[in-house]
Amino acid sequence: MNVVITPAMLGQVVVSGILAGALYAMVALGLALIFGVMRVINIAHGPLLMLGAYTTFFLYQALGLNPYHSVPITMLVLFALGALLQRTLVFRVVDAPELSSLLLTFGISIALVNLAQLAFTSNLRAIEYATGSYTLGPLAFSKSRLIAFAVAAALTGLAFLFLQRTRLGKAIRATSQSREVAMVCGVDVRRIHLITFGVAAALAGAGGALVSVIVAIQPEMGQIWTFKSFLVIVLGGAGNYPGALLGGVLLGLVEQIASLFLTTQLSEAVAYILLVVILLVRPTGLLGGRQT
Amino acid sequence: MRLTARIALIVGVIVAASTLPAVGQQGPIRIGASLSLTGSYAKLGGNQHEGYKLCERDLNAKGGLLGRKVEFVVYDDQSAPPTAVRLYEKLITEDRVDGVMGPYSSPVTEAAANVTEKYKKVMVSPLAATTSIFRKGRKYLFMVISPAEGYLEGLVDIAAKRGLKTVAVVNEDTLFSKAAAAGAVELAKKRGLQVVYQEAYPKGNTDFSALLTKVKSLNPDVIAAATYFDDAVALTRQMKELNVNPRMYGVTVGGDLPEFYETLKQNAEYIYGATQWEPSLPYPGQKEFLDAYKKEFGHEPSYHSAAGYAGCVVYAEGVKRAGSLDSDKVRETLLKLETRTMFGDYKVDGDGFQLAHKMALFQWQDGKKHTVWPDELASAKTRFPTPSWTQR
Amino acid sequence: MRPRTAFRVGLVLLVAALAAYPAVGTGYGVRAMLQIFMWVALAASWNLISGLTGYVSFGHVAFFGAGAYTGAILITSAGWSWPAAALAGGLGACVVALVIGYPCLRLKGPYFAIAMLGLNEVLRALVSYFEGLTGGGNGISLPTLEATVPVYYAMGVAAAAVTLLAYLVITSRFGLRLMTIREDEVAAEAMGIDTARHKLYAFLLSAAGPGIVGALAARDQGYIEPISVFPLATTITMIVMVLFGGKGTVWGPVLGAVVLFVSQELVWARFPYLHQLLFGSIIVAVVLLMPRGVLGLLQQKYHLPRTI
Repeated sequence: MNVVITPAMLGQVVVSGILAGALYAMVALGLALIFGVMRVINIAHGPLLMLGAYTTFFLYQALGLNPYHSVPITMLVLFALGALLQRTLVFRVVDAPELSSLLLTFGISIALVNLAQLAFTSNLRAIEYATGSYTLGPLAFSKSRLIAFAVAAALTGLAFLFLQRTRLGKAIRATSQSREVAMVCGVDVRRIHLITFGVAAALAGAGGALVSVIVAIQPEMGQIWTFKSFLVIVLGGAGNYPGALLGGVLLGLVEQIASLFLTTQLSEAVAYILLVVILLVRPTGLLGGRQT
Repeated sequence: MRLTARIALIVGVIVAASTLPAVGQQGPIRIGASLSLTGSYAKLGGNQHEGYKLCERDLNAKGGLLGRKVEFVVYDDQSAPPTAVRLYEKLITEDRVDGVMGPYSSPVTEAAANVTEKYKKVMVSPLAATTSIFRKGRKYLFMVISPAEGYLEGLVDIAAKRGLKTVAVVNEDTLFSKAAAAGAVELAKKRGLQVVYQEAYPKGNTDFSALLTKVKSLNPDVIAAATYFDDAVALTRQMKELNVNPRMYGVTVGGDLPEFYETLKQNAEYIYGATQWEPSLPYPGQKEFLDAYKKEFGHEPSYHSAAGYAGCVVYAEGVKRAGSLDSDKVRETLLKLETRTMFGDYKVDGDGFQLAHKMALFQWQDGKKHTVWPDELASAKTRFPTPSWTQR
Repeated sequence: MRPRTAFRVGLVLLVAALAAYPAVGTGYGVRAMLQIFMWVALAASWNLISGLTGYVSFGHVAFFGAGAYTGAILITSAGWSWPAAALAGGLGACVVALVIGYPCLRLKGPYFAIAMLGLNEVLRALVSYFEGLTGGGNGISLPTLEATVPVYYAMGVAAAAVTLLAYLVITSRFGLRLMTIREDEVAAEAMGIDTARHKLYAFLLSAAGPGIVGALAARDQGYIEPISVFPLATTITMIVMVLFGGKGTVWGPVLGAVVLFVSQELVWARFPYLHQLLFGSIIVAVVLLMPRGVLGLLQQKYHLPRTI
């Protein structure tokens, strides 16, 4: 219908897109880590986010814990869960053809959703916290999304520092560049895999904690995040960690702007079409340098 | 190769064995239904299931039906129409149930009704509200709740009486919500309101920033949203964030659940919600139903629970009056039946389309749902207009 | 009898039994068998592209959905008979495959898988958006028609045709070239195989079957909506069936479709709150314990020919 799009409106959706983008980037960074280090496409990434949201919810409900304070706890819980999954199941498909990892993690994914349904029931839950927004001129900055942006940006930054500066982080990057060389250099590759999956799950868990105050919490909330993370890492270049940041913000902006000029209905299609076009022009993503 | 032959043989045997008909049973009257126990409608389908369970219990407490006990056979269709089609076929031809009751939601009913029609089974479908389902010449399908198109009638009616001028309609892009939105647009035009914006968003959408930015720029007096739960919550939160201030804002499904208020707390105040039923409505047997339900399941019923219960009661009444489980006799009875249950009135036209049941509109006021429309059922006055978010 | 003869006799008997089945089976039995046929056709089709070339089509349900919508639109708006609409559904799916296969088959490994996944989402969004043609979220409700038994035969023929096609491809030089691509695409190229063209042909062949059965399924269910004809779970189910039976074989997808569908109906439909968990566990078990599938294991153990 005849909506006249003003610069203020465009500004508003750009704000929304960037705020959403940081969260996308953080969650997708987990997926990118797993893919980069192990060549595993983790479809269970979204369900891990869902478990993070539930963890936060129950901490809030049982202990009255501020959802933002429980981010570290949620991350620890998810780290443990991620490491457990890696230790018991996922390690078997490391380096297997992508079909094995896709299927295995899909199996884990639907099992997790079903378990969540059994354990938490399909009751609709949500946390009422930090509603409303800060305004700056004509622009509104949603409180919950702004905090999510800040926390996600900080955690993503920490993750980069960890990867760049620490010995462990360097070992992870080394493993993702060449497993053999890393092994020769004395890196315990199995341990690296365990930690990688744990860190990735923790990032998904943090994402869950942050969205628990934005959307309703239910067992099936995660799937959409798996899809979004795919988009982000492929847009940015799979296995390229800074690429996740670019991909996240890009996805956020594309979704919002497409929703504004077209409809919400088409925004997802636009994002995927962009993905395919980028892949065709640069088969390994925008910042992807290495051929797999 | 011999092994392959053997495998082929074994497979053949398994296939054959799997399709042997089940042995017919005597004894209780078995009523089959497929419900959305998992999948995207799990919560609401689960409420409906509880309605069926309570009805089963109550019927048996009163000596059953036609002197026989009643027993429900329920499967899970995972909220997917193709699965429901198969399950109804199974219920009717394998399990040989004596009767069937409807599934949850319009899309699932639309698909499943093809099967029940084929076998000429009466299906009272308590949670299918889309008119088109009942206007396809189906003979054995019966409607209990008011049609989707009328969900937002109360909202539009109040808006028109209050002299409001413009309305924006948004909806989830699924069968029921689309019908509710189309109905709202139709009613609004009829009442002289101008529909300034309309947009459908995909199922599962939780980010409404861009949509609401557009709506805000048009500054409509009324926002009418055809929703389920998750989207209703997200939409409300983002309306506050983006400071979108209609003078009336109403939702369809989800707004009536206690979780809606628990989730949004004071932000749910002033929001209107369409409902098929409220515990506070003065229908016969209401108190007994509420007490029994709370005792049995430990929480309040939603209108889905109540509709499930009432649908089952209506079907049982039809069987009782027909004195038989025969589809054509029950059909005749149900076509003529006029009754009032704890859910409200029941009376259908020749298509099985519901005529008598009334929608209600409530408003969240001080943490409680108060019925504000229609006037004869109203328990409180509307708090009008909805103040802007900054002035609460 | 020599095993080969025994196998052929068994096959003929099986076909005869299946042809006679609607006369004796219950309505549900017929519909369940119809579903088995559908899954056989879907799994065998997926096997044609992914089992043979190794390109994981992670959005194969897109062709099923494309066929379902093509068929349903032709039946409701153009008044076509359903058998003609089913063939058109296959054609429609091939057109989609041509449009997306030409560019996307250049992508490698996981990128191809994700692109296919994305294209399925695009198709679903487009179908929802162009509601003038597709009814959008309202879906399409087909005119009532009691055709379960004819559709049963049509579905059976479709399943047999796809299986036969798989047999012809796998035993041909074309099939060998496809498998060469799977093992080493660069080497295949060096050997003078026009890989792009071969992959595209395989992709087109793999799209036709799902298109046809999609249209048949639409006719049979009488109602389709975007969410129910483009689900990722359908793609995954096809893949698990192929993997269970043995990928790259003729009979593997058939075996996988039958065993998985039957166990789903018999066993885990009884546990409404657990079936996803059970299905998930089965997927995990198949991937970890028998990645080569039943026939793969048998081939290895008994030195069976590659072309079973």
